Amino acid sequence: MTQSHLEQYKKEIQGKFEDKIIKTEENYNELHFILTNQKDIPEICTYLYANMGTKLATMICTDERKLGNGFVIRYVFGKENGEDIFFFVTAKIDESTLSFPSIAMPIPSAALYEREIHDMFGLDAVGNPDTRPLVLHEHWPENTFPLRKEFDLKTKTTRKESQYKFLSVQGEGICEIPVGPVHAGIIEPGHFRFSVMGENIINLETRLFYTHKGIEKLAESMKIDDVLLLSERISGDESVANSTAFCQALEKIAMIEVPRRAQQIRTIFGELERLYNHMSSVAGIATDIGFAYGSSRLNIIKETLMRLNESLSGSRILFGVNRVGGVRCDITDESKTTIMKTIDKVSKDFEKVVTLLKSKSSFVDRLQGTGTIPKKAAQDLGIVGVAARCVGIDIDTRRDHPYAAYYTQHRGTPQEITQRQVTMQKRNGDVLARFEVRIQEILESFEIIRMSLQLESDGLHANTPTNLEPFRSALGYAESHRGQTVHWVMVGENNSIFRYKVRTASFLNWPIIEQAVLNDIVPDFPVVNKSLDLSYSGNDL
Amino acid sequence: MSGYVEIAIGVIQALVIVALAPLITGMMRKTKAKTQKRTGFGIFQPYCDIIKLLHKDEVVSDQSSWIFRFSPWVNFVAIGAAAFFIPVFLSNSPFGLVGDLLLVIGLFGLARFFTMLSGLDVASTFGGLGSGREMMISALLEPALFLSIFLVALTYGGTNLSTLVGAASDSPLLPHPQLIFAAIAMFIIILGETGRLPFDNPATHLELTMVHEAMILEYSGKSLALMEWSQSIKQMILFALIVNIFIPWGISSSISVSELGIGFLAFVAKISMFAIFVAWFETSVAKWRLFRIPDLIAIAIASLMIGIVFYFL
Repeated sequence: MTQSHLEQYKKEIQGKFEDKIIKTEENYNELHFILTNQKDIPEICTYLYANMGTKLATMICTDERKLGNGFVIRYVFGKENGEDIFFFVTAKIDESTLSFPSIAMPIPSAALYEREIHDMFGLDAVGNPDTRPLVLHEHWPENTFPLRKEFDLKTKTTRKESQYKFLSVQGEGICEIPVGPVHAGIIEPGHFRFSVMGENIINLETRLFYTHKGIEKLAESMKIDDVLLLSERISGDESVANSTAFCQALEKIAMIEVPRRAQQIRTIFGELERLYNHMSSVAGIATDIGFAYGSSRLNIIKETLMRLNESLSGSRILFGVNRVGGVRCDITDESKTTIMKTIDKVSKDFEKVVTLLKSKSSFVDRLQGTGTIPKKAAQDLGIVGVAARCVGIDIDTRRDHPYAAYYTQHRGTPQEITQRQVTMQKRNGDVLARFEVRIQEILESFEIIRMSLQLESDGLHANTPTNLEPFRSALGYAESHRGQTVHWVMVGENNSIFRYKVRTASFLNWPIIEQAVLNDIVPDFPVVNKSLDLSYSGNDL
Repeated sequence: MSGYVEIAIGVIQALVIVALAPLITGMMRKTKAKTQKRTGFGIFQPYCDIIKLLHKDEVVSDQSSWIFRFSPWVNFVAIGAAAFFIPVFLSNSPFGLVGDLLLVIGLFGLARFFTMLSGLDVASTFGGLGSGREMMISALLEPALFLSIFLVALTYGGTNLSTLVGAASDSPLLPHPQLIFAAIAMFIIILGETGRLPFDNPATHLELTMVHEAMILEYSGKSLALMEWSQSIKQMILFALIVNIFIPWGISSSISVSELGIGFLAFVAKISMFAIFVAWFETSVAKWRLFRIPDLIAIAIASLMIGIVFYFL
């Protein structure tokens, strides 16, 4: 089915932009359009975005000067309506001007990627209204572009003194509240600048990237097996999703067929990861509104699930589950019964707690109407995961671009699909909606795990690839509990990594928090933040 | 001679409040831990905390003025002084001649005023937020508190605490149905005054939602010890008031060893039960939205109005 769609889209777009596209390539479910001239980027991207019903999945810049290509930017658009297709718009960037046309005005979600490319490669996006640095904070010296190939990993940079310009709100009675980057709880660093009038939030500006670790640069100096470990550590609580995405990219490059059993095990671990994290978010919501009883009940469940993880994989947060070509740890018949028992026990407990929480008027009242995400902003910023589903944007990588064993998932009868669409329409994007979406997803995860336990018996992994064809690239993706995570890998010579681009769900979802709190008061911010459950580490890379 | 004994007992009563206050805090924390299926630390932990803090150095912001250093002492002295007027196990306190319930509230007001100033004084963002919220809540709570005192005073004929508690221990509850409404209101007010859920979360780490904790966020060492201790004493005083006015049974009315002993045991039992009840109640509610807190106080005031109607019926 996908193949025929691919052909059809290829013809359509080639026909429309005949003279602007040099070449079209196919790579599994990816359709690459290579442009003649960078000035056509906005036109083609806008066409794909506005007319083809796609979302900007990621934007990848590579330094291919060594190969004689100069800098190359790839815009990846994913279809989200059931057709498993990714469109790549590939353009070479003029080395003499070091700039490219911005698409941030028609496609607002591109703005952050363009700022990131400016910091890391020194290419200017002409027309992007926000030219402030994003990843590299102001103390970095000028003309330092870490992802260019000539930048040595061991470079020690000097510190420069400078100030970041926050958007300032002026008027009588407006106060600024700076919060962070060091917070009172044991959480990661991030700065929040509130402009408030009394308790009402007029504006919020977030400043992140305090935990920038240079993961993408680091990967270029590591062996593939080590990069796998690195990918697990992008954000500790989405280790399975990130390593699955990385493995899939490499498996596509090496053209390996992953055994069915391995794919099923990936699905089970992926769902286990989603489970304990959703549990932790729901518990966090209860903590943040001061309902400690509910939160401790949920934390007990979370602990049970993490102990299950440990007994299955040896790691509470599921490190070391994946390997390129399959999985490292098996699910034996014995562990199957452990899983079933734990899931049964936990799901009973969970239903009790949820009934209790929903019956507390003080609990429901705090969530209702708090942190409402405007649907228009959600679409423009291209948010993913629970945050998108809570405003009724029906996207889910597991269904739209099935991977691992999600191919076999039952898609529902027409009646069920209609039912789902009706529920989606009713969702209004407040914390209560996110709370309910998470509860529903927890119940679905229980179901998926139960179904996936009918394991095939065809082995844990394919043979490890020995020689990868240099400069082949592929996209890997997975749905973590935060939403879609997209990894793009290009291999270099001698089985090295030439470029590893990671885009986690947090990168897309962070900006929405600035919109979600606009009708709220300061004391409600923690619960809004928790309900979105964003990772600092996964964003800062 | 008996005058001296009375004064001595009055001083002992105040000391009991000051000394047992951290224990009540410890018991409430333990109860909350138990209801949340945690082990929790021992009930004597608040004493250890105070001792630890007394040994620690202080960090004082160079942006602060004398108010910041002064206010822990004002707090401790004002609230400690209020403890002298509270009947604990003897219904008539010898210091009743000097001041009544209104003075106790006045002393609380003084302490609160200085706490709010010190929150603003260090010019940190959270202190200002906390002070602003505290002002909003206290401006609403105080009228409710006064109204509840007037209702009790109307019933028992006076605002002097010794008269109040003496009259209360002599009379059965049933002839005064208005007191039930006063007790409901007092309970809500006490939750607010002591910064408990659903008003404020005393166990929070979230700087953006705090009220009382935000104001004392900049304190450390001895000043913090004094602040926390005075908060515990204030809580103990309010608990003692509610148990001795509304459940006065067991309090001794004459100075005899056996009666005083029974009075003391009864007091400890009542106040522990009440503290555990408050902690349990806290477990069963979430913190209310800040701007819905006036609704809670409105419930208290409405309850008091009904009580007043009952009094005049």
